[in-house]
Amino acid sequence: MCIVLRSWYVVELTPIINMLDHIATKQQINLMVRNQWSAQRSSGNKLERAFQEARRWTVDWQHLTDKIARSKPSWLTAEIVEPVTLQRARPERPVEITVLATDGSQLFPDRHEVAACYLINIGTIVFHYGTGERPILSSIPTLFYTEEELFLEWNGKRTPVNADMVGVHRGIMELETLADLTKKVPVSTRKTVALSDGTLIDWTLEGKPDDFKNEMLRRTLASFDRFEKTKIPVAGYISSSNSADVVNALRVGLCPEDPVPACESCPQRTYHPDTPPCTAIEGVYDRALFGRVLKNPGDRSVVFRSTSEILKEYGRHRIFFFYVNVGFEIARIEVPAWVAEDTEMLNLVHSVVCDQVDKGKGYPIILAEAHEKAVVRGGDRELFYQLLSETYVRGGVRSEISRKNISKRRLLI
Amino acid sequence: MAEQAQPHVGEVIESGTAEFTAESRVLHGAPPFGAYVKIDGYPMIYAITYNISTQSIEPNRRPTAYGKTEDELRLEQPQIFELLRTEFNCLIIGYEDETGIYQNLPPHPPKIHNFVHFCSATEIANFTDQAHYLRPIFGQTRVPSDDLTIAAIRNAYLARGENGHYLVKAGKEVARLLKDDYDRLHSILERIHV
Repeated sequence: MCIVLRSWYVVELTPIINMLDHIATKQQINLMVRNQWSAQRSSGNKLERAFQEARRWTVDWQHLTDKIARSKPSWLTAEIVEPVTLQRARPERPVEITVLATDGSQLFPDRHEVAACYLINIGTIVFHYGTGERPILSSIPTLFYTEEELFLEWNGKRTPVNADMVGVHRGIMELETLADLTKKVPVSTRKTVALSDGTLIDWTLEGKPDDFKNEMLRRTLASFDRFEKTKIPVAGYISSSNSADVVNALRVGLCPEDPVPACESCPQRTYHPDTPPCTAIEGVYDRALFGRVLKNPGDRSVVFRSTSEILKEYGRHRIFFFYVNVGFEIARIEVPAWVAEDTEMLNLVHSVVCDQVDKGKGYPIILAEAHEKAVVRGGDRELFYQLLSETYVRGGVRSEISRKNISKRRLLI
Repeated sequence: MAEQAQPHVGEVIESGTAEFTAESRVLHGAPPFGAYVKIDGYPMIYAITYNISTQSIEPNRRPTAYGKTEDELRLEQPQIFELLRTEFNCLIIGYEDETGIYQNLPPHPPKIHNFVHFCSATEIANFTDQAHYLRPIFGQTRVPSDDLTIAAIRNAYLARGENGHYLVKAGKEVARLLKDDYDRLHSILERIHV
């Protein structure tokens, strides 16, 4: 009785006290889940079809590759260089091996905060397995504050750096620091693998102004040169990848047209306006397909070549990829061409990735540790701004926190 | 002194008038329960170890079972050992300056980052000449005081070359402390195990 009487009271008060309207949010969550449930139902059939298509090209894959080479589909297709459904078993990891990893995070310039600057923090990890040598778990913070670092020449205009660009810069620094870690390998005969979190493909550079893009590319390729020179394979680990480049290649195989034209001029859309043949497997992610192909945990797929636009600039570091059943999921692994073409290096990467995921119970442990070292949590964040502020005061430089940020910090009643 | 050539066993990370906490230099390498330790300085501080713990250095990460031996873990999960630390807590039982040894609390607590060393046998023997230091050990409520008393007496006995006279002296002190509780006294004396 008491509760019923009070309930309208609570509803009355809710808009004043709560910042998030829970009722309205829940309604939308319900809609979202219903939406995803029906998407999953239809994707079950599409997945089976995709698997059939993959099997179709097991022997004749060269024909498909040639057809794709002749075609101009508007979606990103992988270049197939081996039979699609072949599985490679997990090799044994060498007893003694060193694994390197980095990850990064940033504290981005907030113009409401104390001073114009930004911080990039790179976590660095070196694990030696089978030897008992002590690992390295460290991080390197770098503060950027000079005029050149805060502003970029962008198409002849001086533009302040934004979060997007700091993110790109951070990615480049992660790779450079990873290349630096190759110096920490104790003996030159030690087998070593360098792991990176996320893609090795700088696709975010596509469409950026030339001067920025070229400088970032130069630094990326210089890092890859260093890995190649030290003969240390570098690989990108992507969890829950939403890539569909292999499925898209299979879609080309489904199209009755040869060569496949660009979507706008596709005659199939005239015959089947909503469902041209290529949509039969549209929406299936590569990881779902390879979930069907790679039945045994530890198995990897064949390698595929990525045809991302930016890779035209990569030269001999053009990126290949493969999928691995790591037990917990199907992960996508990206490697430069010189790794993909070297069976020993490829096997090393394969065995290390599986071993790392086993140790990390679902995710490569070294990448998880790198992330821990890189991330700047709330308390550290506050400390950073406090240090900034105090140092400014001691240095006699006036620092002003904007009124907006003061109000964000302490809302009064 | 010649014994100072030994590396330190810990470093003070928290300090107070009556006790301090130190991080052991080596993981799992804390002084044993009841060990006599000292902190060099002026004055030199004497203390006894009453608690040892090993924990993750990051509050939101806890160790989990792997089903592997320590050697296997050192080879295959080397990061574990970097993320754990061993700490030990010590009760301050006295101090020494140029005027002598005192079995009461020093005027100033140890400094943070001071090194903690094991006491040598000579130092233990000199300190435990008087048994009065047993009283504050005994009166503590935060620590397992019976067991600590037993360990303190035992370690002093061993440091003094298994001196029976000392045992009698220590036993008498404990008897004074436990006049009303014969059972507890008996339990302590029985458990000294020499």
